[in-house]
Amino acid sequence: MTDKITDRDALVRFLERLLAIPGMTVYAPVAEGDGAAFDGISSASEALLDFPGAVRSPRHILTPMTEKLLSMGPDGRVEEAIPTPGPAVLFGVRPCDARAIAFLDRVYAGGDMTDPYYRARRDALTIVSLGCREQRPTCFCTTTGGGPLSPEGSDIMLEPSGKGWSVRAVSEKGRALADATGIVVESNGENPDTGSIGAEMTPRVDLAALKKSLDESFDDPRWQTLTAKCLGCGACSFICPSCHCFDIVDGEEDGVTVRSRIWDTCQFKAFTKQASGHDPRPTGADRFKHRMMHKFSYCIDSYGMPGCVGCGRCVEACPVNLDIRRLMEAFGGDGLE
Amino acid sequence: MNGAGLSSRIAETAARLLSEGRAEVVIGFEQGSIPMRATPCLITDSADAGRLIWNAFCSNNLAKYLVPGRKSAIVAKGCDSRAIVELVKERRLKREDVVVIGVPCRGMADPSAIAKRFPGICVSSVDETDGMLTLHGGPEPVSVPVSEVLHASCRLCAAKNPVICDIPLGDPVVENDPGFPDVEAFAALPADERCARVEAEMSKCLRCYACRSACPLCTCESCFADSSQPQWVARGTHPEDVLAFHVMRAMHLAGRCVECGACARACPTGVDLSIFNRRLAADVAELFGSRAGLDENAPQPLAAYSMDDSQDFILDPGRNSE
Amino acid sequence: MRVERIVTETEDGSIRTISLSFAEGSKPFAFIPGQFSELSIMGVGEAPFGIASSPMTPDALDFTIARVGTVTTELHYLEPGETIGLRGPLGNGYPVDALKGRDLLVIGGGFGFSTLRAFTNYALHPDNRGGFGRLVVVYGARNPGLLLYRDDLRNWASRDDVQLIVTVDRAEGDWAGAVGNVPSHVKGLEVDPASTAALVCGPPAMIRYTLPVLDALGLAPSDIFLSLEMKMKCGIGKCGRCSIGGSYVCIDGPVYSLARLRELPGEFS
Repeated sequence: MTDKITDRDALVRFLERLLAIPGMTVYAPVAEGDGAAFDGISSASEALLDFPGAVRSPRHILTPMTEKLLSMGPDGRVEEAIPTPGPAVLFGVRPCDARAIAFLDRVYAGGDMTDPYYRARRDALTIVSLGCREQRPTCFCTTTGGGPLSPEGSDIMLEPSGKGWSVRAVSEKGRALADATGIVVESNGENPDTGSIGAEMTPRVDLAALKKSLDESFDDPRWQTLTAKCLGCGACSFICPSCHCFDIVDGEEDGVTVRSRIWDTCQFKAFTKQASGHDPRPTGADRFKHRMMHKFSYCIDSYGMPGCVGCGRCVEACPVNLDIRRLMEAFGGDGLE
Repeated sequence: MNGAGLSSRIAETAARLLSEGRAEVVIGFEQGSIPMRATPCLITDSADAGRLIWNAFCSNNLAKYLVPGRKSAIVAKGCDSRAIVELVKERRLKREDVVVIGVPCRGMADPSAIAKRFPGICVSSVDETDGMLTLHGGPEPVSVPVSEVLHASCRLCAAKNPVICDIPLGDPVVENDPGFPDVEAFAALPADERCARVEAEMSKCLRCYACRSACPLCTCESCFADSSQPQWVARGTHPEDVLAFHVMRAMHLAGRCVECGACARACPTGVDLSIFNRRLAADVAELFGSRAGLDENAPQPLAAYSMDDSQDFILDPGRNSE
Repeated sequence: MRVERIVTETEDGSIRTISLSFAEGSKPFAFIPGQFSELSIMGVGEAPFGIASSPMTPDALDFTIARVGTVTTELHYLEPGETIGLRGPLGNGYPVDALKGRDLLVIGGGFGFSTLRAFTNYALHPDNRGGFGRLVVVYGARNPGLLLYRDDLRNWASRDDVQLIVTVDRAEGDWAGAVGNVPSHVKGLEVDPASTAALVCGPPAMIRYTLPVLDALGLAPSDIFLSLEMKMKCGIGKCGRCSIGGSYVCIDGPVYSLARLRELPGEFS
């Protein structure tokens, strides 16, 4: 049995080796309705290795949709509910999603204050990504500074090579996992085989030019016209691998008072509405403008990289086809086609 | 009349309505940014009317964009017109403020149904002629009739022709209301299977409220789901809270839901909301002989009282309890 | 934190000030005026409030609470002796060091006066008063019934090391004091712009009309400090709710100089 991943069967065997590691939890793409999502698997056959692009993002593995923060028992003592997960592998993410996790690391674990809940899950997780052989109509990773073989955020990158994949250990964590499964690390990231995809993925706009333009466009009337069809539904935020805003709610679980955080979005009307009734972002256009500016300007200032990895899920998921790339081009580019 | 002909008729009509001042805005569709999509388009300048198109992907319910008090023209399918009928009854809109450009519809194509039918093809472009789609992007082009890849709501459509119409465009379609075979099939399943189906669907919900945002009849300024005093339903994704939200929303729509499917289409994770909304529509039809949006003059069943309303739920206190 | 005392501030009962002491097992902290804390009632929720008492009286922290929702209602109904949770101090506070030696205009309207009351009492404390120049406080409310901190106002009025102007938009009852909005009373002040700094906090309309007056008086934007009202949740720069531009109000603020604020996106102009 070869220790190289020469074809799809070998990929399945690699997955089986990961599952065989004692105590290891493996997250992989699985079928969900007509689409797919990342979830824990107990056998390699559950994994959807030929998944279509726009899978539900893996963000919930690191930041659950509803996450217990504190609990208070009947004695009134309040305890933190910091998770203590066993080792886990997130298998089969695309480079865009791995890059989104690198971004989330800067948000939650960077700066003066580290989020201990995120840190606990993150430290236990090793990320194995699958490089991309093809581009979907919705992909734009290169525009955001990523790429179909970008290693950012990955611990192991599986680079497409012929019918199989060439293994690249991007980090020490990745090398350790490769050693634990016995697979051969062949690639050092030089001379990757991008196939036809490399040439197709010319960036649509220059990020620096876009940021400069956005910073000067606060009062631009185009925000109203370009976002008029937006429903304010929030689907884009909830499907995004790098969105990170949350709300904190109190409730009860099995007789215990708990304080949890839940995913939230700046697209909801109530997000910035103050108790006095005043709202600095009263219209949908204001809120969508904030989304754009946050992802393509403020995040660059605060975290050194944009808050968007070009995965294209929002383009696919938006019920009214409000294409963020069109807005990027309107404000920052010469436009394509 | 085929798609291309209709597109130019719609554009001409829109330009005329705007330049004559009969509408401040024309709400229609323009070309989407990715294959198999058309996108809502709000035109205020007659010079832009040429952007309007009509094709097999014009599935959104445009009634959502009607603003009370604003004179609007809207390119309306049957389902859009049903929503307008109910909104007028609820006094959200004045009938005279809406110019309905009515377009009969045989149903819109569902990109996920296409993907399921042709797995492995990443569609790069679509040609459409006379109800036939030719998909490009695979090793060679493949064709499929629109009728074989319809949205679920379109397969079960009760109003293929607009219920109200000021300017008819396109050829009328033969109506054939299929009733509620979906509801009957689900109700016939054993209880534990129904339970499992509902749980499976609810487990996909993100509480993103895209369903509510897309629904033309969800018009409350202040939605019950956002209320904290009192908190009718907890936020977050615990299964019982998710179920409570969807059941409550469905109940608020009972007798008002026009079964357009906008909610299910908006859902980013594909939750099958028809399980609730179609069931309640069937129940309302059975109990009150009424179906939302099909009759301008019929009162809303849950907003009106008549002496011959069903009273089966009232037990005769003189009878022995069973 | 232990609830020590609750005082109803306004005639309509909508605003109360609670005083909290550090209960056993809690860690007392030092703070500067302008900082805030998150008050927590498990099972109900958490909300941010500016610390309304001076750091010179560290045994009890005051918080002034308007009853508008679930958490504030619970806070209003607390009884002395009860325990609630608190996270703090959060935010940046007023730049007390940079203000040393300056003449100060403390300008507040309505509910936003709470952290300015903290600052004023801090500045008036014998240990600190000598470190500042002239101190002028202009404070206004819509009507006399809505004035907060009446004991402090009486105390300050009786002192000669602070010039106090208390005004109402509309006089009612036996009000004998000044009438007119806050900006109109700032207008009439004589100041030496080179040595004066202003601390401003209040409703958006008051701020909008006060800034041009300060500009006309010759104050530089870098000498005008605003405490921003912004919806906040986590208070530590993670949840995203209070972000303006690349700044989190809960970490880089809530106090911003007007110069800095003008560099941020115009959501607050």
